[in-house]
Amino acid sequence: MFDILDMGASGLTAQRTRMDTIAGNIANINTVLDANGKANPYRRRFVVFSPGQAGDPSKPGVHVQSIQMDQTPFNRRYEPGNRYADKDGYVNYPNVDLSIEFVNALEASRAYEANVTMMDTAKSMFNSSLRLLV
Amino acid sequence: MFLDRLLNQGSSPVLDQWLRFTDARQRMLGEDIVNASTPNYVQKDLSLEQFQSLLAKKVAEQDEAGPGGVSFDDISMDIQHPRRGMLFHDGNNRSMDQLMSDQAKNALMHSLAVEMLREQYSMMEMALRERVS
Repeated sequence: MFDILDMGASGLTAQRTRMDTIAGNIANINTVLDANGKANPYRRRFVVFSPGQAGDPSKPGVHVQSIQMDQTPFNRRYEPGNRYADKDGYVNYPNVDLSIEFVNALEASRAYEANVTMMDTAKSMFNSSLRLLV
Repeated sequence: MFLDRLLNQGSSPVLDQWLRFTDARQRMLGEDIVNASTPNYVQKDLSLEQFQSLLAKKVAEQDEAGPGGVSFDDISMDIQHPRRGMLFHDGNNRSMDQLMSDQAKNALMHSLAVEMLREQYSMMEMALRERVS
């Protein structure tokens, strides 16, 4: 019965990773340069989950299979005065949509809570089973 | 032999199976909850109705065979894939409200079985002590 807690923990880890990714997207919503200072906007990331635990996919649970890059086009803004504008005066901004990120963050938060509740319920079931012994 | 008969009569084996079922179902529901955001994950569950009918059949067999005459350990169930939620764009058919309510009900059923089993054991203990206290 204790593997339910491991399963719940895998869910918590997965949802936390998802939340970290969302936080990274929001933090970089205006990042137009890469780490080398070149005009290369931040590309939105998203996590892809897969059933089974991280170390052993045969065990029930969930894990982050990959963190992928969103290949949708960058947001283009007309800023002719910007030094990073192209020849037409447009600057590429990250393809991050704040409303999508907030909805995903809300979903991740709710899923995290659901996992905690599930673990809490399983724990109370263990406790009540243990009461059979006393 | 005596102990075996004592523990396998009345509602004890039924409650024992009930605990096993709620444990297994909690595992299934837990797996569904942790995979609520997994693309193409199909929800799994154990049917309460199927379990109850299998259990009722065993109880009827036990009534005919007498105490300890029927083994309850061979109840096996198939994993079902209920279509309780709408199919999302990611191919997952989650229904969080249903899952949370199912697991709450399952936990209550577990507690009920534990309390009834505790009661049975305390009565057995009382009978063994030959004292009411």
